[in-house]
Amino acid sequence: MESFYKKYERLSAYIDNELSEEEVKKLEEELKFSKEFQDKLEELKRIKALTASSIKPIEENPFFETRLAAGLKIKTPWYRRIKNYSPVIGIATVSILLMVLLKYNPQIIDKVVEQQKSNLTAFYKENLKPLLFTANLSNEDIFNFAFYHQLPLDEKKKQCLQFGSDKNGKQFFEIKSGSIVQNADNLKQFENELNLSSDQRRQMDSILSSYKKDIATQVLVNDKNTVAINPNIWNYNKALTADLISFASRVSRRKLQNIIPPEFSHLYSQKDLNRMVNAVRTARTNKYIFLTPDSIFSEQYSFNQEEFNKEMQKWSNDMQNNMKEFTKQFGNFNVNFGNSLAKLKKDSSWERDFDVYIDSNICRVHIPAIVIPQINIPDMNELRENIDSITSNMRNFYFNFPEHSKGKNYSYKYFYNDSSKGFNFNFKAFGFDSSFTAKNHKLDSLMKKRFKNFNNGFNPDSLASIFKYFMQDSTSSSRQNDIKQQMDQFKKQMQQFEKEMEQMQKELRKSMPQSQPKKPVEI
Amino acid sequence: MKNKKKNEKLPLPQILNLDDDFSLIKRFIEGDESTFSMLVQRHKEKVRNIIYLTLNNHDLVDDIAQEVFLTVYKNLGSFRFESQFTTWLYRITVNKCKDHLRKMKIRQIFSPIRDNEVELGYESAPENSDIKEIVHEAIAKLPDKLRVPLLLKDIEGLSYQEISESIQCEIGTVKSRIFRAREGLKELLKPYKQELL
Repeated sequence: MESFYKKYERLSAYIDNELSEEEVKKLEEELKFSKEFQDKLEELKRIKALTASSIKPIEENPFFETRLAAGLKIKTPWYRRIKNYSPVIGIATVSILLMVLLKYNPQIIDKVVEQQKSNLTAFYKENLKPLLFTANLSNEDIFNFAFYHQLPLDEKKKQCLQFGSDKNGKQFFEIKSGSIVQNADNLKQFENELNLSSDQRRQMDSILSSYKKDIATQVLVNDKNTVAINPNIWNYNKALTADLISFASRVSRRKLQNIIPPEFSHLYSQKDLNRMVNAVRTARTNKYIFLTPDSIFSEQYSFNQEEFNKEMQKWSNDMQNNMKEFTKQFGNFNVNFGNSLAKLKKDSSWERDFDVYIDSNICRVHIPAIVIPQINIPDMNELRENIDSITSNMRNFYFNFPEHSKGKNYSYKYFYNDSSKGFNFNFKAFGFDSSFTAKNHKLDSLMKKRFKNFNNGFNPDSLASIFKYFMQDSTSSSRQNDIKQQMDQFKKQMQQFEKEMEQMQKELRKSMPQSQPKKPVEI
Repeated sequence: MKNKKKNEKLPLPQILNLDDDFSLIKRFIEGDESTFSMLVQRHKEKVRNIIYLTLNNHDLVDDIAQEVFLTVYKNLGSFRFESQFTTWLYRITVNKCKDHLRKMKIRQIFSPIRDNEVELGYESAPENSDIKEIVHEAIAKLPDKLRVPLLLKDIEGLSYQEISESIQCEIGTVKSRIFRAREGLKELLKPYKQELL
């Protein structure tokens, strides 16, 4: 059955004379018997007529052919034809030029990279000043540097520069937060232990002072947040330690033997010592390690001490008048190794030269690629244990136990990520009393000697977090004390309130009129 | 002898019909570029009208017609004599118009919307309006794919076959589109039913 739409479509084709003879015959037969069909045919015819009459043919343009002829004569110039292909031609030309350039000068990219590198390094090397010079290193700091390998960077933020070597003998330095050796009078205790006279104390101070300026200029900083560290500082550390032990040995060999095993004492003859100290001071290592917000690299850099001294002299003359400017120049250095370095580390090529560990409060840089001038000085790490023991009373970390735990065998359990790396901290086993003092920088030695298992997955930073844990615990205990005090106070107040209420009841009874007893009614 | 010489000097009378398009093209291919102007002369008005009917814009007619004949001139050497020259010519013309409409649509995307844009739909009968103009406006409102075959048929008188080759679609589609165009036109002219239909 043909739809109306198709039938009407045939009608439309019929009026356009587009049907075959057979189709026309068939359609005309149908038209005879269908009024509706006839009406539709008429309607379509009217629409066709309207369409044909509605649009006038466009007027002729007498200049059309002339214009076309002119258009045909004007041949498209070659540069217009080339214009269509200009992007392809451009890319091809650049590619060919690059290929030719690289063929005959393959080093050019390296040169450009090196040039950019040198520009960058020059930028970060500008205006470097010794950080430790302005940190006003005290003799105490120098003493702590000798035995605890630590120098203060920023006392406000408790940041320090820690030097050390890992179990593989790789030397490293790290900028550490929150574990700075505070003024614990280590030097004074050391002097007292050796029972030094005032002259000997002066000599001790003189030794420390003589190293102070040299050590101070080993760490440079500038206003672009760059820290430059001279690896030679390790040798200064060794020489200083040897110098101090040698001095102590001369003062009192017997007392020093309490600190240092006898087999080490023979190493520090005055002759050997002088040779070592001279070797350290004359060893010029100008290859600094630069820590910048963008990268870590090692570059040759010579710090002009004389020029700096002159500048400092000038500054010190103007200091009284320009104190603010002075602090702006030197006082606002911010060691910032957090997010920026951590992000950069992901896709940097530092690993070729440096092993860099970045934690929330630490930035450690191993430097296997840099040759530090080796001087024959024995390893002091073993001596450090003994130094620790004589300065054990000079501690800066305090841990408070709750009062009620006094004398009991308490233990803390601490798990790091998973149970395999956990450990128990048993107080009784260490003979701890109700409170004990411990020194956080001693933890490194503890780690080596007593807690060998700590090496499995722990680093100093993690240990710091352990102590945070304890600190939190101690604060919670102190909070418990506070609550207890508050509860006691509240009890007292409640007792007072009860008393006051009783008193009020009594007064109220007194003030009430006394009711007369009723007489019996007689019936 | 004299008559013979006279006959040689006189140009041969050129009585051309549609079939002669092929011979003109052949002569053009052989190097006689003057035949191209004859082709232009014969077909320019048809081409101009198709452009006008398709785009409904007087101003564009000559520019696009120029483009059409320039394209024909460049490509006439590769004409394959498989179909009528007019079919090929109309196809080029319709394609040029389509190109232009495409460009206009792209431009409209980036042009700000106008408040006075007319929407397709019923309108009340304006008084004293010219009937031809009303129908013309109604045709202009038809979609391109319906309007072009309708006008090629009713104004230019092309056959369904020629239209199908020009707009590159099936004859059945042309037949259907022309009918749908007429139905659409009837709907658009409903407000004027009494006067027109």
